[in-house]
Amino acid sequence: METITIKTLKDLPPEENLLPGTAMCAGCGGLLALRHCLKALGDKTIIVNAAGCFTLLSIYPFTPFRNSWLYTAMASAPAGAQGVRDALDILIRKGRISPEENLKVVVLTGDGTAYDMGLSSTSGAIYRNLDFYYICYDNEAYGNTGFQWSPSSPFASKTATTMPGRIIPTGAELSKKNLFEIWRSHKPPYLATISPAHPVDLVNKFKKAEQFKGPKLFISLAPCPPGWGTEPSRSANFAKLAVDTGIWALKEAVYGEIRHTFIPKKFKPVEEYLKEQGRFAHLFKPVRQEETIRKIQEMVDGYWKEARI
Amino acid sequence: MLRVRFHGRGGQGAKVASRVLGTAAFLEGYYAQDFPLYGAERRGAPIAAFTRISKEPVLERGVIAEPDIVIVMDETLLSDPLSSPLAGVREGCVVFINTTHSREEVRAKYKITAQVITLDITKISLDILGRPVLSALAGGVAARLSGLKEDSLSKGVEKETSEIITDRSVIEKNIEAAVHCYNAVESHPHPAPLPSRGTEVPEGEGRKTTVITVPFEPAITSSPAINTTGSTPMRKTGNWRLFRPVWDYEKCTKCMTCVARCPDGCIALNEDGFPYTDYENCKGCMICAEECPVKAITAEREVHSW
Repeated sequence: METITIKTLKDLPPEENLLPGTAMCAGCGGLLALRHCLKALGDKTIIVNAAGCFTLLSIYPFTPFRNSWLYTAMASAPAGAQGVRDALDILIRKGRISPEENLKVVVLTGDGTAYDMGLSSTSGAIYRNLDFYYICYDNEAYGNTGFQWSPSSPFASKTATTMPGRIIPTGAELSKKNLFEIWRSHKPPYLATISPAHPVDLVNKFKKAEQFKGPKLFISLAPCPPGWGTEPSRSANFAKLAVDTGIWALKEAVYGEIRHTFIPKKFKPVEEYLKEQGRFAHLFKPVRQEETIRKIQEMVDGYWKEARI
Repeated sequence: MLRVRFHGRGGQGAKVASRVLGTAAFLEGYYAQDFPLYGAERRGAPIAAFTRISKEPVLERGVIAEPDIVIVMDETLLSDPLSSPLAGVREGCVVFINTTHSREEVRAKYKITAQVITLDITKISLDILGRPVLSALAGGVAARLSGLKEDSLSKGVEKETSEIITDRSVIEKNIEAAVHCYNAVESHPHPAPLPSRGTEVPEGEGRKTTVITVPFEPAITSSPAINTTGSTPMRKTGNWRLFRPVWDYEKCTKCMTCVARCPDGCIALNEDGFPYTDYENCKGCMICAEECPVKAITAEREVHSW
């Protein structure tokens, strides 16, 4: 099936389905990604939100959404989505609502839920071929509680629980879990990585996903000013640098078949992305950790070498 | 006992300011207690922090409802019902307000009968540190108003900032800024002290329990439900802003970059296709100015005008 694609920022859907006035931090990269996701999805959605930063989107008695929003514990958002999907299907079958009133069921979670606590219930939902969307805003730590280490935290990053010190000067010793590959192994109809700095690519991916019935999964990098130790004004810039250095690969997988949707013509060195973030500052000051920086560059180079085969 | 309450916005450094004061007092030989009030809020949202200083061990716990000194690190909080920095302020209290306005203007505007001191510590912070992080500066003001020595303040700032900052020059600048603020305000008399709570437990009292039976309610009434959609704009997050984006339509090429990059969806197009922002809700993250390819957006310091 051919899908209509957009080409420039001027083609982005003008409707705002996420209104201002939320309690999210100024310069929240996750919020920017979500804003574009909801532009692409439209207002006929129901969001099932696991606990995380985005808990605070709807604080009683206010909500920034034009659609319904249901709140769940961290590990159970896909189970909540199953319940909502079943309820909608039953209501349609019984004729209580018309098929036009059908809603898209959208799970919204952070990386703590997606990579960690909610992984098994997500696996279950993909396995059952639940017809839903999953958006993960990945700020690479448990941001809502003070930026503690999560399995999504990249190698050598500083979090509240991987403080670089005399014994372990690198910060986080383990590498980021490869959630894309874990999800891809289920062969879902649609799976993609997205970036708030590439809204055209983001919207096109949602448009493409629309044709599939079953799990449609999205992982968005979400620059986080307080957690990453960056200026709020630089969030879009860091999202872009992550793509330009090759650290955040923009790709999609249809029934498990991978395709990269954007490959930088010339990759920037990872150092450009790392050096201005507080969470990587220890790699440059007071002593430059050459070995660690090289290891990060090698990990990125290794990924692209493998991907181009 | 001296009770000091700090009001700031998440990210301004109210928590660290309360720690700087507590540590300075401790190093001077006092008993001290400091802690922030955490809510389900984040950077930009109202935050409170508390410091108790005493010659006797501090047994009092919990938030400070009747402060002797109040440090308001962001003037816009005075009109924010969520924050209410003047709550519990009694005659003789010392209220410090970070503002560009004079004490007379502030007293008249907010009808404050307590002692008022004003100073634009945001400007001092931008001048010395280059960033609007006010923790050491508010700590410096609080140390002066609490009657602590300048030397204790310097040590307190050094101890607290070196736990979170690795760059020695930044620590030095924080000490410089704190001392500058310490010397920029005059000491003021404290109000008559309130009795310390938590030291005496009345015999036979306080252990009576009354069981309150809560009737069963169905989920539709017992769980919170929001029935009006799209209502957050009423919260008006515009008062989080330190800088406001201002567009130069002479330079603007209507490329839509700012519209596409605004996390809060505040930027829309006017009838002529030029972008403008909803200043009532724009948080001033300045991504628009950073991303504008022709630099048509400038950041102007937000001065709270009445």
